[in-house]
Amino acid sequence: MKTASLSTEQAPPISVPLRFFAIAPLFLLLAAWILAWGDDLSNPHSPALLAATHCITLGFMALVMLGAVQQILPVVIGSPMPAQRWVAWFSFLPLIVGTLSLAGGFLLHEPALLNLACWLLGLAFLTFIAASLISLSRATAQNASKNALWLAISALTLAVTLGSLLAHGYANGLPLNYPQLALAHIALALGGWVTMLIVGVSFQVVPMFQLTPNYPKWLSAGLPPALCAALLLFLCSRLLESAPLGYLAEALFWLLAVSFATITLKLQSQRRRRVADATLSFFRLGMISLLLAALFSLLAPFSPELFKMSAVVTFILGFALSVIHGMLYKIIPFLIWFHLFRGGIKKGVPNMKEIIPEAWMWRHLWLHFLTLLAALMTLYWKAAVWLLATGLALQGILLCFAIVTAITVYRRTLTGMEK
Amino acid sequence: MPDLDVCGLPPPEPFEKIMKALQTLPAGETLRVRIPREPFPLYAVLRDTGYIWTTTPSAEGNYEILITLRP
Repeated sequence: MKTASLSTEQAPPISVPLRFFAIAPLFLLLAAWILAWGDDLSNPHSPALLAATHCITLGFMALVMLGAVQQILPVVIGSPMPAQRWVAWFSFLPLIVGTLSLAGGFLLHEPALLNLACWLLGLAFLTFIAASLISLSRATAQNASKNALWLAISALTLAVTLGSLLAHGYANGLPLNYPQLALAHIALALGGWVTMLIVGVSFQVVPMFQLTPNYPKWLSAGLPPALCAALLLFLCSRLLESAPLGYLAEALFWLLAVSFATITLKLQSQRRRRVADATLSFFRLGMISLLLAALFSLLAPFSPELFKMSAVVTFILGFALSVIHGMLYKIIPFLIWFHLFRGGIKKGVPNMKEIIPEAWMWRHLWLHFLTLLAALMTLYWKAAVWLLATGLALQGILLCFAIVTAITVYRRTLTGMEK
Repeated sequence: MPDLDVCGLPPPEPFEKIMKALQTLPAGETLRVRIPREPFPLYAVLRDTGYIWTTTPSAEGNYEILITLRP
């Protein structure tokens, strides 16, 4: 039995997560611009593709994920980050400028920009990781999400370390084993940090917001450590340069990912309120994309370049971005409602469904689906990159508009109450 | 003791129903809430509005919260 003994301030100020969410869509616009004007996009290691990919993974995904984790920790494990405003500023600004420096460094072949990016991104992630670890170590709650968050933060630490080493080595011409280090960096960032965070948050968010049954205990207890084991096995295979061990680790990872996606889709089919919901559809598109990414990965031996690129595109744009969009459209209205309510406003608080119009979310869902198709088309037909760039840019604009609308509703309600 | 079961309701309905039930709770009475997961954000609001509470996890994976106005 637990009694009231929480810290004096549970939820961070609403400005903490919202500043991350409001700026993140601008990086989709930047990625679109780089893709539209970049050279040699058929080469996965081309500077333009590296710059655009990091605008999406760091500029968009990491900004949203860092902002969301600061909000999620007190809700899911009852333990807020220490010094929330300081952590927000010291992760927010260096992450933005660091991502811009990294993209600029790749595009302009400028070592000084890459070195600057290493320092700034290192500062942003070090601040965030240290604050997350303090929050996790203070939490008394015992649930599967907490374990997944520990592992996600650990994977992020290693991914950032390897990423910094790669950028520093690339900028200064260090003799490193770049292909192996890059594979380990990608595995830790996407397979570790992104997958583990989505899995851990889904254990709470899917049953809570989508009114599904809870995830089975064997899955919520076993999946995070099993994913971690698959990643460690993959890292060992890179260290030993053992191809069979690498295939085994990949097969294990995708088997676990398929289990997660299949069970999530099954739980969603058993939800209590069977009404159409755009955020649920974003989530379903994410899970179907994860299954497709697994399929493309299995087909990789037949045409390595084509299917590996298809798997990466489906994973990042199809799985990660779909789930992030779906979560954003749930989290932002909930945050605004909660902060208005907690601010003492009892009357005139808008219904959660009125904060961001559902029609926009549906339009965004279809636009996102078409963008994903365009991204897959670019692997066969290079001119489709213009469709991909247009889709990403429109998504950035739509998301910006939705977030600004939500902030306007919040401010208007507060102002109305003051009059 | 008044009982309130908020299992199967989407956010923010459990929160709204609990706060509404507390408004009509007679002095000295305790509200018993059954909820599917531990509502950490609710605790901060309860503390700010002068309530004390105890939370007990149940065998089927839900939580029982007993809420009383602080004497």
